[in-house]
Amino acid sequence: MTTDKSAPAGGSIMVVGGGISGLTTALEAAEVGYEVLLIEKEPSLGGRVSQLKQYFPKLCPPTCGLEINYKRVKDNPRIKVITMAEVEKVEGNAGNYTVEVKISPRYVNENCTACGECAKVCESEISNEFNFGMDRRKAAYLPHNMAFPMRYVMAPSMGADDREKCKEACKYDAIDFDMQEKTLDFKVGAIVWATGWKPYDAARIDNLGFGRYQNIITNMMLERMASLNGPTQGKILRPSDDKAPETIAFAQCAGSRDENHLPYCSYICCMASLKHATYLREQYPDAKIYIYYIDLRTPGRKYENFYSNLKKDENVFFIKGKVAEVGEESGTGNVTLVAEDTLSGEKIRQTVDMLVLATGMQPNASVDKPNADLKYNADGFIVNDFKKGGMFAAGCANKPADVVTSNQNATGMALKAIQTLVRR
Amino acid sequence: MSEKYLVQPDLKFIDEITGFGAETLKKCFQCATCSVACPIAPENSPFPRKEMIAASWGLKDKLIGNGDIWLCHECGDCSDLCPRGARPGDVLSAVRYAAINEYAQPKILANAVKDPQKLPFLIAIPAIWFAILAYITMAGGETMTKLFHNFGLEWSHGGHDVIAHANFVSTWLVDITFVPLAAFVVIIFALSLKNFISDIHANAVAEGKTDKTTIDPKGFLLAIKDVLPVIFKHDKFNECEANQDRATAHMMVLYAFIGLFVVTNIFFVVLYIFHIPGPYSQLNPVKWLANISGAALVIGSALMIKNRLSKKDQVSSYKDWYILGLVFALGATGLLTEMTRLAGSEYLTYFMYYLHLIAIFNLFAFLPFSKMAHLVYRVTAMAYASYGNRK
Repeated sequence: MTTDKSAPAGGSIMVVGGGISGLTTALEAAEVGYEVLLIEKEPSLGGRVSQLKQYFPKLCPPTCGLEINYKRVKDNPRIKVITMAEVEKVEGNAGNYTVEVKISPRYVNENCTACGECAKVCESEISNEFNFGMDRRKAAYLPHNMAFPMRYVMAPSMGADDREKCKEACKYDAIDFDMQEKTLDFKVGAIVWATGWKPYDAARIDNLGFGRYQNIITNMMLERMASLNGPTQGKILRPSDDKAPETIAFAQCAGSRDENHLPYCSYICCMASLKHATYLREQYPDAKIYIYYIDLRTPGRKYENFYSNLKKDENVFFIKGKVAEVGEESGTGNVTLVAEDTLSGEKIRQTVDMLVLATGMQPNASVDKPNADLKYNADGFIVNDFKKGGMFAAGCANKPADVVTSNQNATGMALKAIQTLVRR
Repeated sequence: MSEKYLVQPDLKFIDEITGFGAETLKKCFQCATCSVACPIAPENSPFPRKEMIAASWGLKDKLIGNGDIWLCHECGDCSDLCPRGARPGDVLSAVRYAAINEYAQPKILANAVKDPQKLPFLIAIPAIWFAILAYITMAGGETMTKLFHNFGLEWSHGGHDVIAHANFVSTWLVDITFVPLAAFVVIIFALSLKNFISDIHANAVAEGKTDKTTIDPKGFLLAIKDVLPVIFKHDKFNECEANQDRATAHMMVLYAFIGLFVVTNIFFVVLYIFHIPGPYSQLNPVKWLANISGAALVIGSALMIKNRLSKKDQVSSYKDWYILGLVFALGATGLLTEMTRLAGSEYLTYFMYYLHLIAIFNLFAFLPFSKMAHLVYRVTAMAYASYGNRK
């Protein structure tokens, strides 16, 4: 056995995606001594987890898990983080890749202290995609209050007027509109794709009325509303009139397990809706919650217990039957829905204040395929070809999963990436 | 639902309906989207979700005598929204065909009609029969004339100066074939319906789909009267979305058959009561009806064939092609018979008439066994649903 503890010269590891899986892979690899390049498309790390109010299994707020990871990243000189960066092209083979990365200008440099003076003077606003467009934010914005790096971003759409004002307001000389888009080449030995997922576009599920009726929202929108840093400061309100909803229905498998949309089970939506029921029960003790499902999938002992506890709640009702038709009650904005209760064989027509679609996960890499020699399964997830090695997918780029599973998988892929380097 | 029910899967039944176009049925995972998607399913125990689970478990007893399968018009709205591609519409169509097969007697004929390999025999029977009749007419004219004179009847219905099909196959012989055949069909249907009605009633009572405990014949007949306008206007058919274009084609075929039925009866009376043999003048309004109906039959069935060919998401099996092909052939040979006669091509028109007779025989004789039998079962089931207040 060799006693040399330093990393071999086989190069570094690139991790694409700075969500919970990418962070885990990057940290696990860096903390055993490997050089890691962490590439993130958004202006901040954190990914989907940062959009949640609480996450499984312990219903921790995202700050809990992300903060500690950010601290580890900060403390580790072997991790280099590049935000607003996207992989353009991957060439070469295991142990020897050349990756072309496009970096979009943030127009804000390292001097930024996130004091927020620029946002105060900026007048133009843009849609806030962090909140799924439910509100607007200044064109000079902090991605969110847990951003990493904690730095502002200037939207490219900002007009000359606002640019001038922002620049003037900044006391730290942090704003630089001369920044250009850059394309850089990196040489790495292994790549871990942690490109994650996005909520399936609910507007494509024609019979579920999203986009047609205001009070039909998606589960991720509910998550944002329930979050203190969300568009309603944590209050779950129905969009049409900001009323506190009294009856809320959940339509499970909205787009998942459906050949016309996502043919696979998105794994977490059942648990997500059960979790959302707890948010609602906490906020509105008298609200009635109706969960329409095909079959509830609560994998593992912990999730099954969670479900058993919720079943005892007399304000939460479970109806076995998929919501297949929706409408809107004229005047009230209430949502009407139709399903067949398959246990009684009766058609159910219900009117609720708000309908939440439990939409599933669509792998980002299937929508926006990286220009790299990757294999996908029929559902669009990246298949890990361990025989070929070199490139691996972690987390939801590989399969629909919760945070725990993603992290286990991400840790495994860190090891796989290390093995690629060591074998050369 | 609380009563105990011993599940007795009939695997052969699953295979049977799979062969009739239900190959997708096992994909169903009972989400019940179909029951909601269906624009004509009732509120209480809607179909086709429960039929889908019964079909995949091989519960023949819950399907064959289930009136609901006949309320479905196979519009395809359920199949369109089905998240698994289980195509409930095609499954119900297959189950309906299995039901036709179950009720139709004698079994030997039912089995022959559903088997594509027996098709040559089904065609050969009338082909040989009409060949014999043609031989008798053409070769034995004098003998037959003498024979008929003994009873004071005129044998020949043909003329000498015009082309008349009666000179090829005697009208007497044609009617001696079809009148008993029609009677045979009516008897078979009557026997089948007796079982059918008692089965769908028992099923509806068992599943709580009716508020009637017995069948009152008068009330039931009144219900038939009530559903006829619905059928004639294709009201139920028109509620469908995915396949709505089919309604027009189906309506054309239905009215074509009604038109041709009227024409046939009028000319039957004209021939045997008023002793006026054909061919009849093109200026005769009855002839107009005949021509319009014939054209509607050809166009309607051609549209239906085109529809099935272009629908990639709908399964079409032999049961569908047999009947569509037959209806199209019936209309086409009928019109061609007339056109070739008017064109003065004697032997060609006789040949067309020969084909036409074979097509008619197939349609008539095998009516209770083919998909065409739906006209009897569907009307009955719709009437029963109306009678039993199925909503």
